Amino acid sequence: MSKPYTLEELLSIVVAREIRDHENVILGVGIPMTAGALAKALYAPHATLMMESGLIDIKPLLPPNHIADAHACRGFSYATDLFSTFTMTYRGFVDVCFLGVAQVDRFGNLNTTVIGDYNKPTIRLPGSGGAPDFISYAKRTVLTMLGGQFVEKLDYLTSPGHLEGSGSRDRSGLFPKGSGPTLLVSTQGVFGFDPETQEIYLAKLHPGVSVADVQREVPWTLRVAGDLSETPRPTDDEIDFIRRFNPANSVGRALALELSLANLAAKGGLSSL
Amino acid sequence: MEDKSKVMTAQEAIRRFVHDGDQLVLGNYTVGTCAELVNEIVRQGRQGFTLYSQSGIFDVDILVAGGCVDRLVTTYVLRAGGKNGGSAVERAIQAGTLQIEDYTNYQYNARLVAGMHGFTLLPVFESTLATDLFRQRGFMGDKKYAVIECPFTGRNIVLVPAVNPDVCVVHVQRADRFGNAQYWGAQGSVAAAALASKRIIVSCEEIVDEAIIRSSPHLTILPAFRVDAVVEIPWGASPSEVLGYYNMDMLMYGLFMAADSTADGLKAWMAEWVYGCPDRKAYIDRYISKFGSRSLDAIKAKPFYSAPANYGSAFTSRWDQDGRERNLGVTMEELESILHERGKFYE
Repeated sequence: MSKPYTLEELLSIVVAREIRDHENVILGVGIPMTAGALAKALYAPHATLMMESGLIDIKPLLPPNHIADAHACRGFSYATDLFSTFTMTYRGFVDVCFLGVAQVDRFGNLNTTVIGDYNKPTIRLPGSGGAPDFISYAKRTVLTMLGGQFVEKLDYLTSPGHLEGSGSRDRSGLFPKGSGPTLLVSTQGVFGFDPETQEIYLAKLHPGVSVADVQREVPWTLRVAGDLSETPRPTDDEIDFIRRFNPANSVGRALALELSLANLAAKGGLSSL
Repeated sequence: MEDKSKVMTAQEAIRRFVHDGDQLVLGNYTVGTCAELVNEIVRQGRQGFTLYSQSGIFDVDILVAGGCVDRLVTTYVLRAGGKNGGSAVERAIQAGTLQIEDYTNYQYNARLVAGMHGFTLLPVFESTLATDLFRQRGFMGDKKYAVIECPFTGRNIVLVPAVNPDVCVVHVQRADRFGNAQYWGAQGSVAAAALASKRIIVSCEEIVDEAIIRSSPHLTILPAFRVDAVVEIPWGASPSEVLGYYNMDMLMYGLFMAADSTADGLKAWMAEWVYGCPDRKAYIDRYISKFGSRSLDAIKAKPFYSAPANYGSAFTSRWDQDGRERNLGVTMEELESILHERGKFYE
């Protein structure tokens, strides 16, 4: 039995295991940054970690806050620009990318632009960034969903997944054959995409979560893998690395904020706010 | 022509080169943004911009909340405080005072790269045909994209139009007084944004001697002849970070993000930190008087120098140490004598 771990640690570790040695990897904001560092340290020492701001072959020392973080600029090996990072993706040199999810439908199409009407939004989400470009031309895409939701119909299709399913992405002629989302990691479990229909299905459950719990979050009858199992326990090495590399991630956003504010107050910094 | 210094204050640079109704592009991408130039634009009350931003942080929200922006072309906007929080951009769209046009990161950048090189258009990736970015048009309408048949392959190609913004504001690490601007780190779309533009205002952490630029030309992203103004502004990008100078100021970032989640909150923050500080020195003075100098000292960068690139060659003159031409083997005196003897001179 390995040592105790948090949900946030589990998510980063599940994501990290999707990175294979020698792969070219596009990292997005959040969990993927930590996952990339873990993969590089433990399973994929020859992976080339890249960010769309043009930082190629990063050596992660500190968890970056964003895709151009100064902390990612120590010891990277190739300084290029955004344009070239995307055209190298278009040409097929990226093996795997990681994208966050706000809304996702049953075929892994994503909305990160708007909730409600585009011109009269209920919520204006950040937008596309590079997500549509990456999910289109990376060989594989891993989706991470923390606060997002499953919906029957997206309010806005920002990033194309498997379109209508059943091979429609390949048939469109707009994408490299066989590309698209391969995995979705949520706070409840791990999902795959059916090889024939490309419909999302539940493959693994995180500890303490039931199929019924997951189904409640999905507005259609969710397909479940015949060999449904619990998400494999992280190893001590994985937990140790991730807790040391990004402790704020390990404790989760709310607790991290609480501890930071308490620390600031203890230093007297809050009195003047 | 005489070499001419373009050094001026932010006030003068904005007054001379940024006009109401301009297409304005923020040159920086996510990091090291031109915070003080943005603040000065807001303080001067410019209006009616079509604003281009690759990825908005506080810069876009300050300009929008300052009433400077009618239209926004972007790929990514800030959300303060996650799902529950708002942002100046969201509030302005909801109020109908801001129109937005969404592109992907590559598409937005392609418009600037086309403009930078003088082309009228550039191809983008065809997968966009499957998205609502393609289907949902904002104020650009039919001109947001075009689809043509490639004359070489017969396949459909999606195009975006070039853009040449009226003016770019951009922050860099260092520049000389003539405008040669050096920037390193995450290159993003910084050079394209500036070089696509008709006018360029550069702010920098420090103005350095021309000799420093000339010994490291690989770091120069903008040549002097394209730059209209150079403004030296230490801490000019804070609370965002500048590689080699300072980290992100998490304290001020946190205050801004908390403020930006409501209209009143942002108004109060801007009253204090934008309108309440006539320049960056005033901002830093206010910061230190309020929070002490420790939090700024703590985020100053510790040096990690790039290995110098060797720009040396075998010699720098056609004439060797004995005064003889390296190939011809003669001195100037001998050369002229030969020319005379051979009748090569008009005499």
